[in-house]
Amino acid sequence: MARSIRVAAVLMMVVAITVTGCAKKKRITDESGVAGAGGTGNEESLNDSGSLGRYKRGLGPEEDGVLKDIHFAYDSYELDGSARDVIAANAEWLKENSRAKTEIEGHCDERGTVEYNLALGAKRAKSVKDYLVTLGVASERLTTISYGEELPLCRDASEQCYARNRRVHFVPPSE
Amino acid sequence: MNRSEGGSSVGCAGYGRGRVVCRRIILGSVVWAMLGASVASAQVRGTIVGPGATSYPIAVSPLKASVGAEKASTMFADIVAKDLEISGLFRVIDRGAYIENAQGSGVTAETIDFKDWSTIGAQALVKGSIERDGEGLVVEARLFDVVEAKQIGGKRYRAGDDELRRIAHRFADEIMLVLTGERGPFESKIAFASRRRGRFKEIYSMSLDAGDLRAVTRDGSIALAPSWSPDGRSLLFTSFASGNPSLFITGLDGDKRLLSSRRGLNLGGRWSPGGKAIAVALEAGGATDIALLDPSGQVIHFVTKDRSIDVSPSWSPDGQSIVFCSDRGGGPQIYVVGAQGGTPRRVTFEGSYNTSPAWAPKGDRIAYASRIGGRFQIFTVAVGGGDVKRITSTRGDNEDPSWSPDGRYLVFSSTRDGSGAIYLSDAAGSKQTRLTPSGGDDSSPAWSRWLE
Repeated sequence: MARSIRVAAVLMMVVAITVTGCAKKKRITDESGVAGAGGTGNEESLNDSGSLGRYKRGLGPEEDGVLKDIHFAYDSYELDGSARDVIAANAEWLKENSRAKTEIEGHCDERGTVEYNLALGAKRAKSVKDYLVTLGVASERLTTISYGEELPLCRDASEQCYARNRRVHFVPPSE
Repeated sequence: MNRSEGGSSVGCAGYGRGRVVCRRIILGSVVWAMLGASVASAQVRGTIVGPGATSYPIAVSPLKASVGAEKASTMFADIVAKDLEISGLFRVIDRGAYIENAQGSGVTAETIDFKDWSTIGAQALVKGSIERDGEGLVVEARLFDVVEAKQIGGKRYRAGDDELRRIAHRFADEIMLVLTGERGPFESKIAFASRRRGRFKEIYSMSLDAGDLRAVTRDGSIALAPSWSPDGRSLLFTSFASGNPSLFITGLDGDKRLLSSRRGLNLGGRWSPGGKAIAVALEAGGATDIALLDPSGQVIHFVTKDRSIDVSPSWSPDGQSIVFCSDRGGGPQIYVVGAQGGTPRRVTFEGSYNTSPAWAPKGDRIAYASRIGGRFQIFTVAVGGGDVKRITSTRGDNEDPSWSPDGRYLVFSSTRDGSGAIYLSDAAGSKQTRLTPSGGDDSSPAWSRWLE
């Protein structure tokens, strides 16, 4: 129940941002804070609305969100120009919502082996986190996790699908 | 003839030659005195079998069964026959062609009419008896050379009903030992990750013939990269069940315990051959390095510590070295390093993406997956580098090779038929067979040593 309130709040906020434009970003309302995931608090609830939490509930992973996904070239964890732009926009949001925390998930496409892709996903998540920190976001607000090729957005063997899966995804931020 | 691996709990000497007694904890078995056997096996070996040779025709008769053991009698023969077929070295003559009635005929060299068997083309024959006594089953399985009309191997086993499969596999290994000089791999298990029960990746275990395929974990999360303890009684694996990708150890009944849960990856845990340390890839701050843990999960030391990706450790059989995958040279390649640390030595120089190394039990070669033309294929390379041999050339991806305990075979995952399945190949790349039934999306196979 509380979870759906939080999702609704995020959606309302997304709508609000869309309506008002990027210049005015709404703060997260209290309803969207830590929801009843139990356990030891913030990290548990972040996991819950992240890709694995959604997967356990029978949902596919989310694409983008309040904070947009970052994309990578094959077998790479380097940030190109457009990746840096997206991260910069995400950094702005995080600086405006200075209590928000998020988990940065690293993902890979299915080519490449399971273990190497988990390590590559970790590198991708770390690249993004490091750049956010250089842009002024406090490191303590950001955790990282890698899912390698385990939680793809799509499963078809096409270049377009592979490109979507080579991503860093931000778990919907919460306080 | 010595066993190449395993059997350390048994204390057999000169196994398979002359009169030898082997005592085991679970199963008692006594080798029958083989009449003139020391010469016979050498003669038979001359006519047999190696990769590329034609298959050796063998008949496997149901055992002569006492009351209450009829089903077990057929099951024993079925399992032995299937193992011999899977080995790729034998052609098992169809039971429908057998002339005699197993229940009414003799089981010793003196009482068998070998013409009944040579007529249908058999060169070797398995016969024997199975009885039920107060404590369980007693199996006497015998191997005969049809041409020489003599017994060349034999074992007696005492076991409970739930161990019948295992002793059938053990006898298949014995047949291979007698006829080829090297013990077969069938008394072992293969663990793998699979989503055959739904969307969650869980760890499964099976014998080579997939006869007792069952789930080991039921965590409803992502479980992957299983590997066996040296005694075949427990598995290491990595799971997201607690949120973080942590290293767990589990018995085959699913009773699991957290071993290493450092924040970040705790991935690809592998026991050293002596069972004293676990090599694992640990990630901290984005960099993944190979570390050694003690059996309680504490870090002993880091084998590598650098900015590169270092993953997928595999031990040399002497426990002195570790082979792993690293992108320190720009892209993923295979490296060997001393277990104490030091400067890794690169082993692969062909191809731009080489990963998932597995050190062969005989110590001489390393199997790995290499990306060629956008797909992954299995290769082996000499430990010193060079002498690269290609094992697969299929569509789809072939990944994560693991060696049989006898070093003759590899298992690996393959998507050549669509969804991932576990495949078997001999070390030369011939006789490739699918092992897991469909419906799987199976990956990351791990082959145990011989079961103790």
